[in-house]
Amino acid sequence: MAADSEPESEVFEITDFTTASEWERFISRVEEVLNDWKLIGISSGKPLGKGVYTTETWEEKSDEISFADFRFSVTHHYLVQESSEKDSKEEIVEDALPVAMQDLLCMNNDFPPRAHCLVRWYGLREFVVIAPAANNDAVLSESKCNLLLSSVSIALGNTGCQVPLFVQIHHQWRKMYVGECQGPGVRTDFEMVHLRKVPSQYTHVSGLLDIFKSKIGCPLTPLPPINISIRLTYVLQDWQQYFWPQQPPDIDALVGGEVGGLEFGKLPFGACEDPISELHLATTWPHLTEGIIVDNDVYSDLDPLQAPQWSVRVRKADNPQCLLSDFVTEFFKLCRRKESTDEILGKSAFEEEGKEVADISHALSKLTEPAPVPIHKLSVTNMVHTAKKKIRKHRGVDESPLNNEVLNTILLYLFPDAADKSADGSEARTSTSTGSLPPPDSEDYNIYIQFKSAPSDSLTYKLALCLCMINFYHGGVKGVAHLWQEFVLEMRYRWENNFFVPGLASGAPDLRCCLLHQKLQMLNCCIERKKARDEGKKANSFDRSSGDPGKTDLLGREFHKDSDKEKGEVGKSWDSWSDSEEEFFECLSDTEELKANGQENVKKGVAKESSKETLALKPEGRLHQHGNLTLLHSGEPLYVPVTQEPAPMTEDLLEEQSEVLAKLGTSAEGAHLRARMQSACLLSDMESFKAANPGCCLEDFVRWYSPRDYIEEEMVDEKGNVVIKGELSARMKIPSNMWVEAWETAKPIPARRQRRLFDDTREAEKVLHYFAGQKPADLARHLLPCVLHAAVLKVKEEESLEDITSVKRIIKQIITHSSKVLRFPNPEDKKLEEIIAQIMSVEATIARARSLKAKFGIEKCDEEEERKDLENFVNSFLEQPEVPVIGAGRGPAGTIIHKLFMNAQRVATMLPFDEELKRSGSSDEKRLSSGSVADFPSPAGREVILRMTIPRPAPYSKPLPQRMYSVFTKDDFRLAGAFSSDTTFF
Amino acid sequence: MDEDILTTLKILIIGESGVGKSSLLLRFTDDTFDPELAATIGVDFKVKTISVDGNKAKLAIWDTAGQERFRTLTPSYYRGAQGVILVYDVTRRDTFAKLDNWLTELETYCTRNDIVKMLVGNKIDKENREVDRNEGLKFARKHSMLFIEASAKTCDGVQCAFEELVEKIIQTPGLWESESQNRGVKLSNHEEGYRGGACGGYCSML
Ligand SMILES: Nc1nc2c(ncn2[C@@H]2O[C@H](COP(=O)(O)OP(=O)(O)O)[C@@H](O)[C@H]2O)c(=O)[nH]1
Ligand SMILES: [Mg+2]
Repeated sequence: MAADSEPESEVFEITDFTTASEWERFISRVEEVLNDWKLIGISSGKPLGKGVYTTETWEEKSDEISFADFRFSVTHHYLVQESSEKDSKEEIVEDALPVAMQDLLCMNNDFPPRAHCLVRWYGLREFVVIAPAANNDAVLSESKCNLLLSSVSIALGNTGCQVPLFVQIHHQWRKMYVGECQGPGVRTDFEMVHLRKVPSQYTHVSGLLDIFKSKIGCPLTPLPPINISIRLTYVLQDWQQYFWPQQPPDIDALVGGEVGGLEFGKLPFGACEDPISELHLATTWPHLTEGIIVDNDVYSDLDPLQAPQWSVRVRKADNPQCLLSDFVTEFFKLCRRKESTDEILGKSAFEEEGKEVADISHALSKLTEPAPVPIHKLSVTNMVHTAKKKIRKHRGVDESPLNNEVLNTILLYLFPDAADKSADGSEARTSTSTGSLPPPDSEDYNIYIQFKSAPSDSLTYKLALCLCMINFYHGGVKGVAHLWQEFVLEMRYRWENNFFVPGLASGAPDLRCCLLHQKLQMLNCCIERKKARDEGKKANSFDRSSGDPGKTDLLGREFHKDSDKEKGEVGKSWDSWSDSEEEFFECLSDTEELKANGQENVKKGVAKESSKETLALKPEGRLHQHGNLTLLHSGEPLYVPVTQEPAPMTEDLLEEQSEVLAKLGTSAEGAHLRARMQSACLLSDMESFKAANPGCCLEDFVRWYSPRDYIEEEMVDEKGNVVIKGELSARMKIPSNMWVEAWETAKPIPARRQRRLFDDTREAEKVLHYFAGQKPADLARHLLPCVLHAAVLKVKEEESLEDITSVKRIIKQIITHSSKVLRFPNPEDKKLEEIIAQIMSVEATIARARSLKAKFGIEKCDEEEERKDLENFVNSFLEQPEVPVIGAGRGPAGTIIHKLFMNAQRVATMLPFDEELKRSGSSDEKRLSSGSVADFPSPAGREVILRMTIPRPAPYSKPLPQRMYSVFTKDDFRLAGAFSSDTTFF
Repeated sequence: MDEDILTTLKILIIGESGVGKSSLLLRFTDDTFDPELAATIGVDFKVKTISVDGNKAKLAIWDTAGQERFRTLTPSYYRGAQGVILVYDVTRRDTFAKLDNWLTELETYCTRNDIVKMLVGNKIDKENREVDRNEGLKFARKHSMLFIEASAKTCDGVQCAFEELVEKIIQTPGLWESESQNRGVKLSNHEEGYRGGACGGYCSML
């Protein structure tokens, strides 16, 4: 058919079209493909249930074939019905019509909301399309179209395939198809007309009926009734009296800790433009018969308000600008910046550190003079200390990226202890105005484990949020660099002055958190040890007079406090961080002993050692008695000693260490060396044990330390008494094994006087150095998990206000997905982008839900039940492409929709005339002017399906399904006919 | 190294000291039993390449000491492990009773929730058994672990234990790929998928 005659150049160029060989080859390729896909033979199937075209899934398979050198793609589209797949093997009726022909008449899936156009036009559940493979190729001339169609016909005939086969002709955008379906003695031809302008006789049902009848050319009189289904679609674009409420925050306003109405530590949310652009109302008359309604060029019964079925879909704005998404996306972009902090802030960022440090220690030494006064207060003015000054120096006064006010606000938010009167660090974890954070131990709180981020009340998390906001509102990467620099200086200040870093769980670094968080915890561990040491020294010098024999600190560790110490040592204690080599675990007062037991002593050998043993008759560093065990030789109670705590480790240190250990290889020597390297802890414990238990032996130690290596057996001695005899296990008795060796080397030294196993000074410096070396991009990578974590919590919080089931489910998926991506080291950017895209889509969905709720006036609805229904209705838009309106035009939702259209119409009729004039030309407008013109505009689309079963071509032929679908819109008209005929008798 | 090595797996052996962890490992890697084996200090490390279902996997196996005191150190080694072998001594009930503690520790420190766990009851060659095979089975079932009884001395079950574990790890999606090939999450935004095709939701009509 292809009635349109646009002057277009031919693209489908084949040198010799009629060459039998090319043509035959093409046909046999088509047959081959049909064979491969097992589409040969009888196609059977039950009539389809209501709506299955939407509820079940469509699949497709493709292959490529060519006609001479013109490439075609062949695609099989088919509905996969999971539910009925098993019982689809029902009896095959030999002479039954092909299932496609039955589908032509089925009324259960008219106007599917989402389907291939051929499905929409012909109601097919399965079909094959041959189309030019390249996007711009097209089959244009009529002779070539015919040639293709006859190839199809031959292939179907040869194979006995009953699946309809279509050929796409003309340019692709025109969606022109011709096709054929064959069955035993029957054939359906699929034909199509596509025009730019609708001829006036086809704008109404009666005209369409005429063309249908003439097309069928039915010999019967009277004609059996023709079944009619009609759908009119109306578009609403003008949402009257409704303005999208959200404005992008005003970034210049900074009022009382808020930026543009946004507090630090909070994330923004929502769309800046209406995420819903259009509403499409489809009014459907699903089942009419010719003669029941009148619809001709002068009058129409088709009043949308009276239509028995209404359904609605909404058109969503493509990528509406959403605040949270912008925030996260911009932060992610930071990860790709190359610049170092120095390059951004001007050289020098950390350069003058040395000088500043000197200043501080100078100030501190002054403070130490009136002895017992510690620095108990950090002030914010003190905090905004140095980075800014330096930046000023180097870049001119006004150029520092963050102004004082912003910086102060942030620092106060990050370090609330600076404002607390009682800020001695121990209470640093008190949460100040953390807002709506999930309570600890709740599922939400523990999300950080999945994201490998940090707890939502931690400093790390807060820092991430601040950086995110600064990046967005305050100078981008420069602001980020500036804040980071301030942050690092603050960390150093705290280390040097024994102030704990607030907002961190105490104890060893939590390996489930991000590395930056671990490093901060590590710094706190260092501060804790240094503080304990320094305070120990101080306390000792001050408490000396009181004669307090010992005291236990918070950690259950003992402070030893008896002795004579020169005053001079006190001042020096402040510098303890500077000399790491000779540092002791809890080096306290006993200078004499300290020296005696120091490293040089090891070299002096056994002679001194033995004298030491006798000296050390007085037990030291006991923690508690170990049950009622007694020492084997002396019979004294066996004491568990105070031991050095194991070195806290961050994951990178750990990796380093295990790498070193692994590198030693698997040889015997390697294993020996490995054990030796790790024996420091064992040795230290042995020394502590010896100090706490004078006169003990290895057996005693083993009974505490590795009890299963001391084997006790009941024996009967020579007098016949049962005695318990114990001995070391075989492996402990191996001569010169490392345990024995270590035992022999160990001297009785209590933990506090041993050399530190953990060099807090060195570790702290390493952490601070690491911090200083972080570029903004590094920082962004470290903290991205925290930002994603926060974004997910935000989305969750917003969802809970709306209660959208589908969003709940997606959020769960995002969390699982993230936990897979983020817990691996160095996740790929592509995967991170995926997570961000998921968060974006959820934000947009929630924004849409809000927009819809506002449009349908849910807030204004007072009636409880009606409100619930409306809510369900609105939420359905988020999950379904098309939502039925219960009660059509008369239901509560229908009434609201009606009003929306009326309001829009009222405004439209007040528009200047030119618009109106153009429209008034259409017959449609005229006809409806008697009806509800004031309420609805003219339909944007009219679809009509005509169906009947009649014998064709002769009165005595088999009665067969006939169908014609028509649609016209403003500038498009299409007729798609499927006309079946009996090929045996005519 | 070897081209055809599919992956390197990190495996951890834990359990009370003296239950035979190091002996099991030695039996597996060197196929010997050394009654003179020294008690482990800290952690030890061995490597072995094995082939399961035609897939070669390099195993980096960390052996731990097990003593209370060393335990503060070992949790760090749980990080990144794909498999863990938890050993008890069938002739020492106390080592069986301590299993709960080990599991708790594992759960606390392990960085991934899909780690594959295997329970091994060792020293079945010895006479004085205190823990019945059924008890081990029950425990393993309760905690979704693989289970086997073995003897490092007689070689019983040792090879099998490691192979089963590796096979299970390889079967667990996302556990061994250095980057998990997850398909991404399907969003409810159905329309996107259709847009690309010949005909989308709207296009047929409007
Ligand atoms: N009879 C017997 N003894 C074993 C077996 N496995 C280990 N042992 C012995 O048990 C003791 C502890 O073994 P070891 O491997 O060092 O234990 P670990 O501390 O768990 O590493 C050693 O004396 C071994 O010889 C076994 O399967 N059978
Ligand atoms: Mg061992």
